[in-house]
Amino acid sequence: MLAVKGKGKGNQALQILLKGLLEKGVVQAVLIPSEIPGGESYAHILTRDPSMVDKAQPVPPVVPVQGGRVVSKLTKRGPVKMPTAVVLRPCELRAARELIKLNQVKPKGLLTISFDCPGAYPLSQYINGDKSLIKANFEEGLSKFALSGTRPLCQICNRFTGDTADIEVGFLGAPEDGHYLIAHTPQGVEALRALGYQEEVDLKEREETIQEMVKERTEARQNYFQEEFGPQVSGPQGLLTTLHSCINCHNCMRVCPICFCRECFFDSDALKVTAENYLMRAERKGALRFLPDTLLFHLGRMNHMSTSCVSCGTCEDACPNDVPVSRLFAMVADKTQAIFDYVPGRDLKEPIPLIDYREEELHEWERPYKESTNHHPSSS
Amino acid sequence: MDREFVPKILYALCAWCGTGGSETAGALWLKYPENVRPFRVVCTGALDPAYVLRAFIEGADGIVVSGCHPGDCHYNLGNFRARRRLAVMKEVLDTLGLDGERLWLRWVAHGEGKKLVDTAWEFDTHIREKGPNPLKQRWDS
Repeated sequence: MLAVKGKGKGNQALQILLKGLLEKGVVQAVLIPSEIPGGESYAHILTRDPSMVDKAQPVPPVVPVQGGRVVSKLTKRGPVKMPTAVVLRPCELRAARELIKLNQVKPKGLLTISFDCPGAYPLSQYINGDKSLIKANFEEGLSKFALSGTRPLCQICNRFTGDTADIEVGFLGAPEDGHYLIAHTPQGVEALRALGYQEEVDLKEREETIQEMVKERTEARQNYFQEEFGPQVSGPQGLLTTLHSCINCHNCMRVCPICFCRECFFDSDALKVTAENYLMRAERKGALRFLPDTLLFHLGRMNHMSTSCVSCGTCEDACPNDVPVSRLFAMVADKTQAIFDYVPGRDLKEPIPLIDYREEELHEWERPYKESTNHHPSSS
Repeated sequence: MDREFVPKILYALCAWCGTGGSETAGALWLKYPENVRPFRVVCTGALDPAYVLRAFIEGADGIVVSGCHPGDCHYNLGNFRARRRLAVMKEVLDTLGLDGERLWLRWVAHGEGKKLVDTAWEFDTHIREKGPNPLKQRWDS
């Protein structure tokens, strides 16, 4: 690990770093969030041109496409041939690292860069709102690391630092005019050395600030899920009421970085049945809501992917009807991940829980058996 | 307890030990409740959560899963994976207030015919005490 001090704040800090990396030839391309000309939205752009970095917005106010998905698209057919720097929010980086485990991202040649994330605004709010005002608010909030009105999940995010990146850009606890650059891997150290950084700094103050914030956010998160959100969405009535506005468009699944399957079970022929079958089900229940299988879709996805859910909130941004999908999934994911003490993206050596096992574990989930000496009703 | 209520119960048995246990039970002339419907899956590890959920949404009051004891799986690790999946299934249901206790996992070996039948009776009583599964009556699911 190597920690140094850099000049500049917020977006500027990342621009200086990326330009340096390009100019010194440490990387030959960068994948970086940027405003699309016209200023309607943001997207990752792949470029070798340092002047494009000047125009980029490495920390954009919204997350239209999850960066994990972007990196997967880039390297699906094989690793990059020339070293490429990739700028990702912490949740995007966690997703990318889950996708490495799932063989959907080839990490070779990628230099990952992440930062203390202040959160992001709801996408619809940005698209439909006063963009220049939102941008100005975001810039100001970013420099002070205090943003209000971010997405509900961002407000209770307790993994907001890029501590699994090759190079972490730290704003928290840094002096007024600067930021920290922290290399966590040999590639990161090499890159910072190539940029001429030598003098190591002490991160004690930063670490304390982060620890405090994590504690606060973790409490807020548990509190929100247990006391506020949980009771609202709990039980057949609560859950189905929450899902009543779902139109079964599957957008949440399509934008999810973890849902990489080429064909999802819930889009497959397994759920395409005859009219007689639907009628049979309608008769049994008195009626059948169309499109059917909404609850099955959401619960099924939770079972299939919640252990890898990175709590990024992209699903909720993509929902046309404001179903609190990301909060539902994050609440469940916190629980299912806790069974295996698993944090998605934390460690590349930790296998994904559902493809791993221990011989001795989880006995509390098995129903204990005591041989009954009583005779069953039938045998008497 | 509602004496009129006859629960619909599914008993997922793996093709090796679970089904074997039911054969042993048959050979011993042991009886299980008539409202328990056994069905065979090739391995407990092949039981996708989607099937279990679908059963709960479409009419099952309870589902119990039995397969080879850990270490005895015909496919070596199927039941280890099943145990992880079952834990996730129950946790998802519990977190959302959908009663994960309507889903049980209990290992049954080929020779354990009595254990299989005991489980069927015990689970039947357990579900009768709980009453009907509220999800199955919802047409808005």
